[in-house]
Amino acid sequence: MSVDYSKEIPLVQGRLTMAQLDDAIAKPMSVRPGKIYFIALAFTSGLLLLGVLGVSLTFYFGIGEWGNNQPVAWGWGITNFVFWVGIAHAGTLISAILYLLRQKWRTGISRFAEAMTIFAVMCAGIFPIIHTGRPWLAGYLLPYPNSHHLWPNFISPLVWDVFAVSTYLIVSAIFWYVGLIPDFATLRDRTVSKVKNFVYSFFSLGWRHSNRHWRHYEKVYMILAGLATPLVLSVHTVVSFDFAVAVLPGWHSTIFPPYFVAGAIFSGFAMVVTALVFMRKVLGLENVITIDHLDRMNKIILLTGSMVGYAYLMEFFISWYSGVPTEQYVAVNRAFGEYAWGYWIMVACNALFPQLFWSRKIRRSIPVMFLVVVLVNVGMWFERFIIIASSLHRDFLPSSWGYFTPTWVDFSILLGSFGLFFTLILVFSRTLPVVTMSEIKGVVEGAHPTHHKGDHNG
Amino acid sequence: MADNKLYCVSALFDTPDKIINAARKTTEAGYKKFDVNTPYPVHGMDRAMGMGQSKIGYVTLFFGLSGAVFIFLFMWWTFASSYNIVVGGKPFLSAPAFIPITFETTVLFAAISTFVGMIAVFFKLPHNSHPLHDTDYMKAVSGDKFGLVIEADDEQFNRDRVTDFLKNLGAYKVADVYIPEKETYKLFSSGFVIFLIILAVVTSAATYITLNKLMYVVPFSWMEVQDKLNAQEESDIFADGKGMRLPVEGTVARGELPYPFYGQPNPPEVLSNPTLPTKKVLELGKRKFLTFCSPCHGNFAQGESRLHGQFPTGPTLVSSKINNYPDGMIYHIITNGQNVMPSYMHQINREERWAIVDYVRVLQRAQNPSQSDIQEVKKESSSNVAK
Amino acid sequence: MAEAKDKMNNEENLQKPDVNYWRSFAELHKDSALIEASRQEFSESVTDDFDPAKLSKFSRRKFLALIGASAALAGTACSDYRDKGEIVPYTKMPEDTVVGKPKYYASTFNYGSQSHGILIKTREGRPVKVDGNPDHPVNKGKTNAIVQASLLSLYDPDRLQYPMKKTDGGEFTKSSWKNVDKEIVNALKSTSEKNIAIVTGSILSPTTKRVLDEFKAKYPGTKVYSYELFNDEIRNSAWKKCYGTDLYPLIKWNEAKIIVALESDFLGTDGNKVENSRLFAEGRDVDNVKNFNRLYVVEGNMSLTGTNADYRLKLRPDAQYIFVMNLLSEVSRRTGIGVPFNLSSFSLDTFAKTYSLNTKKLKHLVDDLLNNKGKSIVYAGRTLPEEVHIAVNYLNEILGNKNLYRTDSATVSNLPLSSKSDIENLVSDMNLGKVGLLIHFDSDPVFKFPEDIGYADALKKVSTVVSLTESANDSSAAGNYTLPISHTFESWGDAKSRTGFYSLQQPVIAPIYDTREKEAVLLNWIDEAKGEFKDTLYHEYLMKNWQENIYPSLKSKFAFIEFWYGALHDGVVFVNESSNTFGSFNNSAFNGLSNTSTNLSGYAVILSEHYSIGDGKFANNGWLQELPHPVSKMTWDNYASISKNTSKELGVKNNDKILVTIGKRSLEIPVFIQPGCADNTIAIETGYGRTVVGRVGEETGFNANILLSKDSEWLFTNSSVKKGDGTYQLVSAQEHHLFDRTPNENLLGERKIIREGTVKEYLENSHFVSEMHEEEKVDQIYPDHPAWYTGVKWGMAIDLNKCTGCSDCVIACIAENNNPVVGKDQVAVGREMQWLRVDAYYSGSEDDPIVSKQVMLCQHCDNAPCENVCPVAATTHSKDGLNQMVYNRCVGTRYCSNNCPYKVRRFNFFNFRDHFRDSFQQEGIFDLVYNPEVTVRSRGVMEKCTFCIQRIATERENAIRENREVIGSNVHTACQDACGTNAIHFGDINNKNAEFYKYRNHELGYYVLEELNVKPNVTYLAKLRNTDSEKV
Repeated sequence: MSVDYSKEIPLVQGRLTMAQLDDAIAKPMSVRPGKIYFIALAFTSGLLLLGVLGVSLTFYFGIGEWGNNQPVAWGWGITNFVFWVGIAHAGTLISAILYLLRQKWRTGISRFAEAMTIFAVMCAGIFPIIHTGRPWLAGYLLPYPNSHHLWPNFISPLVWDVFAVSTYLIVSAIFWYVGLIPDFATLRDRTVSKVKNFVYSFFSLGWRHSNRHWRHYEKVYMILAGLATPLVLSVHTVVSFDFAVAVLPGWHSTIFPPYFVAGAIFSGFAMVVTALVFMRKVLGLENVITIDHLDRMNKIILLTGSMVGYAYLMEFFISWYSGVPTEQYVAVNRAFGEYAWGYWIMVACNALFPQLFWSRKIRRSIPVMFLVVVLVNVGMWFERFIIIASSLHRDFLPSSWGYFTPTWVDFSILLGSFGLFFTLILVFSRTLPVVTMSEIKGVVEGAHPTHHKGDHNG
Repeated sequence: MADNKLYCVSALFDTPDKIINAARKTTEAGYKKFDVNTPYPVHGMDRAMGMGQSKIGYVTLFFGLSGAVFIFLFMWWTFASSYNIVVGGKPFLSAPAFIPITFETTVLFAAISTFVGMIAVFFKLPHNSHPLHDTDYMKAVSGDKFGLVIEADDEQFNRDRVTDFLKNLGAYKVADVYIPEKETYKLFSSGFVIFLIILAVVTSAATYITLNKLMYVVPFSWMEVQDKLNAQEESDIFADGKGMRLPVEGTVARGELPYPFYGQPNPPEVLSNPTLPTKKVLELGKRKFLTFCSPCHGNFAQGESRLHGQFPTGPTLVSSKINNYPDGMIYHIITNGQNVMPSYMHQINREERWAIVDYVRVLQRAQNPSQSDIQEVKKESSSNVAK
Repeated sequence: MAEAKDKMNNEENLQKPDVNYWRSFAELHKDSALIEASRQEFSESVTDDFDPAKLSKFSRRKFLALIGASAALAGTACSDYRDKGEIVPYTKMPEDTVVGKPKYYASTFNYGSQSHGILIKTREGRPVKVDGNPDHPVNKGKTNAIVQASLLSLYDPDRLQYPMKKTDGGEFTKSSWKNVDKEIVNALKSTSEKNIAIVTGSILSPTTKRVLDEFKAKYPGTKVYSYELFNDEIRNSAWKKCYGTDLYPLIKWNEAKIIVALESDFLGTDGNKVENSRLFAEGRDVDNVKNFNRLYVVEGNMSLTGTNADYRLKLRPDAQYIFVMNLLSEVSRRTGIGVPFNLSSFSLDTFAKTYSLNTKKLKHLVDDLLNNKGKSIVYAGRTLPEEVHIAVNYLNEILGNKNLYRTDSATVSNLPLSSKSDIENLVSDMNLGKVGLLIHFDSDPVFKFPEDIGYADALKKVSTVVSLTESANDSSAAGNYTLPISHTFESWGDAKSRTGFYSLQQPVIAPIYDTREKEAVLLNWIDEAKGEFKDTLYHEYLMKNWQENIYPSLKSKFAFIEFWYGALHDGVVFVNESSNTFGSFNNSAFNGLSNTSTNLSGYAVILSEHYSIGDGKFANNGWLQELPHPVSKMTWDNYASISKNTSKELGVKNNDKILVTIGKRSLEIPVFIQPGCADNTIAIETGYGRTVVGRVGEETGFNANILLSKDSEWLFTNSSVKKGDGTYQLVSAQEHHLFDRTPNENLLGERKIIREGTVKEYLENSHFVSEMHEEEKVDQIYPDHPAWYTGVKWGMAIDLNKCTGCSDCVIACIAENNNPVVGKDQVAVGREMQWLRVDAYYSGSEDDPIVSKQVMLCQHCDNAPCENVCPVAATTHSKDGLNQMVYNRCVGTRYCSNNCPYKVRRFNFFNFRDHFRDSFQQEGIFDLVYNPEVTVRSRGVMEKCTFCIQRIATERENAIRENREVIGSNVHTACQDACGTNAIHFGDINNKNAEFYKYRNHELGYYVLEELNVKPNVTYLAKLRNTDSEKV
């Protein structure tokens, strides 16, 4: 059954015609960007360079450049990995799950969210490689035939990660590109410049908007959505296995998969909102990416945030209920031990602040919502850090307890990953349509025959 | 343009209602080769054009399943069949641990196959040279207009009738579309060949440098060359460049008491033979004798050198003189050397030296056996025959 | 180096092949035609017509040439031509050598007043490992950390490599032996009217003694002064007063039922640790629990011995005298034995009150002493003043403990140490300019002599100061000649430290640098007439000395040369000497002892020798520097250990500096709050703070020797202590979390990491440990691995009753397995690379804790959690139950370390060899330190204990060669070899008949963290404390 929100409030405001929509969306690609854009680009790529510096130092001298030690052998590297993978979940969720749920309002933001997914996965993918002691051997994690008959250890969650994350990257890229094909065609037919025409034609594969194609196209889109939905859930489940499968108290817990997935969607949406708040302004798409979109997203943030908060409480209960002294110790130590500061930052940002979204006013007020979602991003990063550091730094044998202190290289690499992410976003916003033209046109008023015969597979 | 072949007649409409109506009419009029181009999928159009469900779902199903089967078998082969390694005390085929990867691969195969299938098989894309491209018609339908084309090779196609037919359907613009003539490219232009050559050279050079130079600079480490001295390695620490040192003169290692009478031509006393002439010892002695002694003393110790006089021939060892030597004396001569014969203590270790002594005794006895010996041998051989 | 070079050349000559090889007689007889022919591969007319230019366009040849060329191109693209170096065999193989197989040499290592019989493992003529000589009656195959680590000192790049002479500019410049010999001999001659002084450490070698005597004979006016920073002089003099004979006897620790150690670390730095702990551990045999000994320790600072105490009483060291007197009075009161001394003012109870001693423990102590007359021993520490020793001697006398004094063997001293007054005279002579030439004979007086003697200043008044030393030290820097002497492993020598046997020292490698044996240097000066120096000078002298002076007395039935070889082979020569006897106690010893029990105030400062780096001689040894202190786990520094209360009183935290002032001498040093330290007691270990030391030792620790004074020994009463300014980061390899704000109490109890009981408990219910783990049987999803571990399966059992926590095993492990030194900064962030660690846990009250030790290493679990998570299968299980680490496969995700419940995995965060002290460890000479049988791991690789797999492999080879099964008991791990108390057992779990089986399945055995069901292959035997069952 399908609830069609487009009846209640128009998805596109200001009664824009299709032509106007096209112009609005295609504008950023045709006009030369202003000074602000280049300043922003300079800033983000500056961060990126900083990250490159940090990574090359690490590559040359070794992981010792980081704060990692015994017993905290995983530090910010894996924290950032999980964080970015989490961010990556919003896109597919919006474009796939909401698609299957017939949430038409997704059309305004799906393209942008998918783009963020891909960029986030790229950021995430870097960390597992650079955090290894001998990155040039990372190929050992892939099952390629070799003279030693050696294969990866398929029992290890890290290998599951390799499969999950790479699958996720490929599938979401396909999904994204499939959505882009008709838009490339439109752009191809709009542009006057020879070069652009060549490029667009190349990527549009000679798409002709033929209805004999549309009919397969829509089917495929649905199939991909159907595939992506379980995939997106599985990916963060697998990531959570990195911890859940270990024997370490504080990691060894069955609650992790749902808890991580919720967290992922949570952080992902927060990141999407963070970026959209600017994008719609800068690109002048307020009418396409409307305040209602943000409102809806904030509702989901509220929901998932509460789920995460529930998980926090549950961890305490389980650790007490398990009756395992080490588990109990870790739980208490998390909240009141050496990492209490981080823990409470996490709780505040993830469980408390999102509760503000109960009020409609706040959900629809740009500045407040921006503040909250930024806090959520911070909080979610800390969640990962706390899970890793506070569990590792005091495990079974008190003799080998320690403490993790990050170095400046750790910081540079974290900032670098943000630099990469936003650089890509900025480039994307000027080279590709940030809104799916072919879809948005389909949801303008009067886009479809007045008498509804035929199915709704649109 | 006029001499070109006609591809189709195209009509443009400006509302979804009109195009869906037009599509239905065209279908009813019995045209087969016609198509509708819309900037987005218009509801009900499939039905209006009389098309059924897409079949692409089967591709997904098939390849998805084959992906699952393949990866599971693969993991079974690598882990449980090809190369068994105990990991964490788990059985070789610990299936539960294979589930995540099996799932991911299923999705991967399904997604890729669906995509490729759609583009290549169902759409026959890429197809950038289609007649409709770069026409005003295509520009319009790319934007916000809705178009319908009836192709020229439809059997009931007639240009004028079709044009009227479309006009009547309420098209605001009807136009002909012609097939542009093909340009031809010649294969293997000289530039292309040069490019190929350059490519080849660059690739092999790059490979060489990467594999043999780059991969061995800091920080890359393969633990191939280690900061330690293995046996028989060079070392620049010592002036003679040798990693192996000689023991200091006069020191005694465990179990290696030096031979006390070394360097004395005829020692005051000699050691007594610690070994027993067992089969094992004698075989060892034989082997060593043939290696070290026989070149000069001959295979049967009778002094017929295998070097046939090109080298000072060793004396016979079966002479009565040597028969009367105590074992220790023979040992002494092997260890210490005599006249031309150098010391063999460096080549032959103690045990082997004694074994050789024992074997020499055997040879001596074989040269002039006692009656009892002959009896023994006879018995032996006859029993062998009997067997 | 020059000398070394032409030495090498000599060797080369030796190694020249004696025949020149030839392939045919024509070649042998230089048939020019043939040789010419052999030059060119193809003889005439084979290759005439091959000329690519002349070839027809599409000839087969050209085609092949093209193919070949392209193949070659492809080949170059993918093949690797990197030079792997040459193979350099022996030109003349030494007798009985198999390249790649080790040889073992018995030798001797003299350090301070201790002489160790050692067995040196060499590979291709290079020492690679040191262990105890099994035939040596003192060592019995065991050594201590210092001896193990001396291997590193041999290959220390900071060793002196050639003689040096100070120029007028005060700079040391390279010189040659020839020159320095000439100059010094002249100096020696010219100082005929003046004195010549030789300052040395204690001389354990009779032959060295003889050399010194000859030197005196040659140069009259020579005086020899010997000094040790720590010595038994007080104990001996007290003994002399009591019993008339010179030296305090050795103790039969193994026969003692009750041992009362007063401020004595006899398991650590007080006396011969190796022997003491072996004998002590004999009284801790789990198969003979009834006869467990009971150890009382009364001490100020927590010492290694203190950590092993059954009952420990903390008492400021300067109160020991009153304590003993109280004990004495209590004993005499209860036994009614009269004491020739007025003890009226002493009462144990009031004493206990004043110093808040646990009366319960005290009662036990007195009862035990009285109930075990003749089977108990009271032993006072060497740093305590004489009167304590006298009182203790008397206490032992009246308790009839004299029969625990050993009669079979006693210490001997070839050269009595000089008294403080002698040294003061020396200094005054120097100041008066009476001393013309002074020789530092492998000693460092500038660093060790008490500050206020003013030796350093007096040294300036001596015209010629010659220092014979392995590496530059404070004294050599103050002199004008620095002559490099050979390391023990490069020198000949002998030793006589005990009655009953001599031990011999032979070199295992020719001097690496241009160095000489210190005796050889003197000999060369004695008979300077002989001119040219011979490397074998001292070797010959030693043999001569033995032949003339020692051999005859032995009445050996062998000819000397055979006897000599035999002696070298064994490393020891036994002689029957008169066993020593003790007279009766001489009451006059009590004269002058105070009989008033004064209440002490102010701070007591006590100095002791550092556990690992000793008196400072080994300050440049990275292994020892990084060895966690057995008690505090501190590395790279010394510190002042104080009690919690004292720290409050002074208002200091850990790492804060305090200012210790004794008279005019004062020292600023950071504090470490040591649980179990007595209040108002400052305990400092000396040996650190050398100003002239190599790259490793520089800027480590604080020189506590400056507190020493000419008129007092190592214990200082009411010295003034106050908070100093600033802090100094001390780095401990193991944080002590018990006393910080841990959210829940009794961690260890709950986690069952340490399982302990009392002897009583065990005798009542021998299964009390196994019962603990009955409740932890876990069922698992997967069945036990099918058809696995059928053959030999390796396992280890660690007997916590015998383990004293001395940490010698750690050094042994490093030496065997090529672990790098990481440096203080890296230990600070928890990246130490030792595969083996000794965990110490405190329990009980904060100011009177009970200490539990646990040797922790890879448990080689059957269900190893580390293996599951490694993405590349770089750590997997072997058929013989080993948890293997495949270095080349390791990518370095460190996931295994996270998932290891025991945190025994170590990761190469850097290439530490490059990282530490700007690639100090990558100097060429370091190649020789590493065990050729063990991989030298690169950065980014995970590593851990392998159960010394290289030794297992050796056994497997032997088994194959001898065509038999692998025998578990043939394999000894390095730690097992090093363990002085045989607390570590290793062997085949599946072999029911092996002795190891007993320990593996002992009823006291348990696994750490058993509830995880990882199935470790290391069994721990629960420690039994010989206390009465009530908790103390």
